[in-house]
Amino acid sequence: MLQDVIGAKKELFADGVQTVLRGQENRNRRVVILKGNLVQNSRSEGRGISARVHDRGTYGFASIAEYTTEAAEKVLKAATENAKFLAKHATKKIDLPKSYGMEMIPLNGQIVDVEQKLIIELCQTVDKYVESKYPDLASRTIVYSEDSLDKIIYSSDACSGHIVSPRCYVYVMMSAESKDGAPVELFKAFGGYGSFFDHFANPEKLYPGIDDLYQKLMDKKEGTYAQAGYKTVVLGGMMGGMLAHEAVGHTVEADLVRGGSVAGPNLNKRVASDLVTMVDFAHTYDGGLAPLPVYLDDEGTKAEDAVLIKNGILVGYMNDRESAQQYGMAPLGNARGWQFSDEPLIRMRNTCILPGKNTVEELIASVEDGYYLIDSGNGQADLTGEFMFGVTCGYEIKNGKLGKALLDTTVSGVAFEMLKTVDMVSDKVEWSSSGFCGKKQPMAVGMGGPHMRCKIMIGGR
Amino acid sequence: MSELRQIADRFDAILQDRKLEKYTYTLSESEKREMNVKDGGFKLMRTVFNNNGSLSVYLGTKVGAVNGNDLSEEGLEKLVSDGIAAAESAAEDPCHDFGPDQGKDVFRQGIWEPDLDLYLERVKEFLATAAKEFPKVKIMTAIASYDRWNWISRNTNGTEFEGFGGQYSFMVEICAGEGEKTTGIDGTGFVTKDLSTPFMELADVRQHMIDVQNSIDTESVEGKFEGTIILTPGCASQFISMIISNYVGSSVIIDGTSQWLDKVGEKVADEKLTIALNPYDDRIVMGERATSDGFRSEAVTIIDKGVLKTHLLGLYAANKTGRPHVKNTGFDLVVEPGEKSLAELIASVDRGLVMGGFSGGQPGANGEFSGVAKNSFLIENGKIKCAVSETMVNGNLGDAIKNVRGISKEVLLDGTSVVPYVALDGIIISGK
Repeated sequence: MLQDVIGAKKELFADGVQTVLRGQENRNRRVVILKGNLVQNSRSEGRGISARVHDRGTYGFASIAEYTTEAAEKVLKAATENAKFLAKHATKKIDLPKSYGMEMIPLNGQIVDVEQKLIIELCQTVDKYVESKYPDLASRTIVYSEDSLDKIIYSSDACSGHIVSPRCYVYVMMSAESKDGAPVELFKAFGGYGSFFDHFANPEKLYPGIDDLYQKLMDKKEGTYAQAGYKTVVLGGMMGGMLAHEAVGHTVEADLVRGGSVAGPNLNKRVASDLVTMVDFAHTYDGGLAPLPVYLDDEGTKAEDAVLIKNGILVGYMNDRESAQQYGMAPLGNARGWQFSDEPLIRMRNTCILPGKNTVEELIASVEDGYYLIDSGNGQADLTGEFMFGVTCGYEIKNGKLGKALLDTTVSGVAFEMLKTVDMVSDKVEWSSSGFCGKKQPMAVGMGGPHMRCKIMIGGR
Repeated sequence: MSELRQIADRFDAILQDRKLEKYTYTLSESEKREMNVKDGGFKLMRTVFNNNGSLSVYLGTKVGAVNGNDLSEEGLEKLVSDGIAAAESAAEDPCHDFGPDQGKDVFRQGIWEPDLDLYLERVKEFLATAAKEFPKVKIMTAIASYDRWNWISRNTNGTEFEGFGGQYSFMVEICAGEGEKTTGIDGTGFVTKDLSTPFMELADVRQHMIDVQNSIDTESVEGKFEGTIILTPGCASQFISMIISNYVGSSVIIDGTSQWLDKVGEKVADEKLTIALNPYDDRIVMGERATSDGFRSEAVTIIDKGVLKTHLLGLYAANKTGRPHVKNTGFDLVVEPGEKSLAELIASVDRGLVMGGFSGGQPGANGEFSGVAKNSFLIENGKIKCAVSETMVNGNLGDAIKNVRGISKEVLLDGTSVVPYVALDGIIISGK
């Protein structure tokens, strides 16, 4: 855990500008066992100090890979000079509010480091379980991946605090040969927010999930290609989360709104059926911790929930301080940087479509001819809201019953059109938090959603 | 950035104090000076000073790898302790290794003393040209970065490589709009060591500006048909990267899931296709000089006139599988151009797409791909008809490169690769 060596340097904050000083350490632990071979066994740590200075619409940023009081002095000086240099070339001047509330956010937890030996033993135990129970697999890979952020933030005009964000996962990947000899694959992530012992003290707890993964792979092995076209589907909760993040979330990030996203002209208009409400949660969901809680952002803004769509109406964006000023909204803590050397960008936190009233069984039973799309390996979206998700796990639905499994396919659509076709929403949310969102820098994000019945374009032969 | 050699000497002393017999490490220092443009105006000036130390410790046949950016005495001591702990925890595996003594060498690449004033002027000139010539195009983001770095790599077999490199890079994200209509995001970029040419005229920057301005009105393809996709150089690079990962990379050879496992020496693609990684091509600014497993980098031809020449195996994968090792761990892609112009390729297509981007995931091991055609234009009867939206493409990587209709004589030179347009037949194209 970082010790505070930068707080005393607040006295060097320049007058007439807005300054944030940040000390940060990122840790990564990674072990990969590929078909029984330990092919990666690594640990990395990177720490340093950065400063960002706002001067009437332009920003100066500087960072040094040292965690010392001297480094704090240097980055404050360099960032201030950068801001003043760029201000000479700026075409627009922007004045931000004088203060955003000067609260001290308390430390939210601890980062507990474990020996690499324990991580390797965990992966070997899981690998042995998979190898011995499922010898017919063509290949198997076990990955342990842990990343943690430890930040101390001081701002001249907003909140300050010391916050930590640890998360760790075990990924199990399996591959089998289909009936025509081609390989098919599936993977599943276990773990979440917290440290090693929060999730992996007993490896046996992973086994039911691994068994379920194997069963789905065996179904996929006998699977069929989806028929291309515009289909009625039931999106699983993980797909709902991907939709919330990729298809809608990015278009309502205010920097992309400013860039011309479809959300610009649609504020306060209907963009979804009235069954759809979507929120970017800061740190708390349904009375418990959100998957990746955020308490304070890197502009010193105290994190609060951002309601984006309410009963189908687009009601808000995710902002940093400057975009909030531009759109007449409040900044709610979305400005985050990944490493100490990264400037804060507008990022999602725990973006989720809220649950409805139906059961999953009711949704599936209601589809005469369509697909149940359970899991996605990846997704991308555009300013227009046009999105694409890879579907790695799904089934046909025939007369309200599940049929054959699907081989890999892709779904696409335009978010604000597709969301208007949502006519049934399940009563439970599924979350995922193991992924990274890419936008100049990576960022750990949570995403969640219920099952939804809707219409969507599906790719296929 | 002048003290790195002294830090390395100190690091050697620490490693030898710990009586380590086998290790390899790389230390580096870097500087970044970055100008960020948002919505057509200067927004952020960023200066980053960074370090990195990566160490692999070998205890017998056990290996542990650690990274850290603290190159102080205390930081180096910690790196060594962590490396030893990681190695002690590892499983025995005699396949882990690094190259034999390669001697000593110093590599100097790119530009070490930048002209930041001229760099700033080039960015201003680009913004002014864009505003004047492409009024419907919005510069959402432009990032102009000068980066330079010094690295030193040593191992206990005696190799010592040192590198000094510096480059300018420029990346833009653009869209176009009219009223409430907007295009999707398009983007491109390049690296260079030469600021003599306006940025609008480098790589494919002007072409992207033209294409995005012509994409404000789009149509979705009607129904589903089998046609031709002409991959732009940027999109062709994306496809070739997927091919390498799916068929010739270390992971898929070790786990045996590659469908080209036993195809070396056999024809796997159309004879028009030759794909190489050549870090010494003059058109590549910062080609790899030393591999991550301790060898001098060498150029390698992966596919020569359609014939698979080699898998792309690092030393570990080669030792593990008993197959040949390739001394190249970079991605300095060079694809041989063809004899037809892009215009001739388009004229030869009855129905298909010029595809500027593929929005889809990494295909599964079977090579099946499925995704959305982005920044793409419909071709009908040999002519470009319109920009498309909500249009999907499906096919199989391995099959697709057996059906190469043609390769353009024009190549994209973006400082990182040399790639032409590649036309592939037999792709399923579907609309709403």
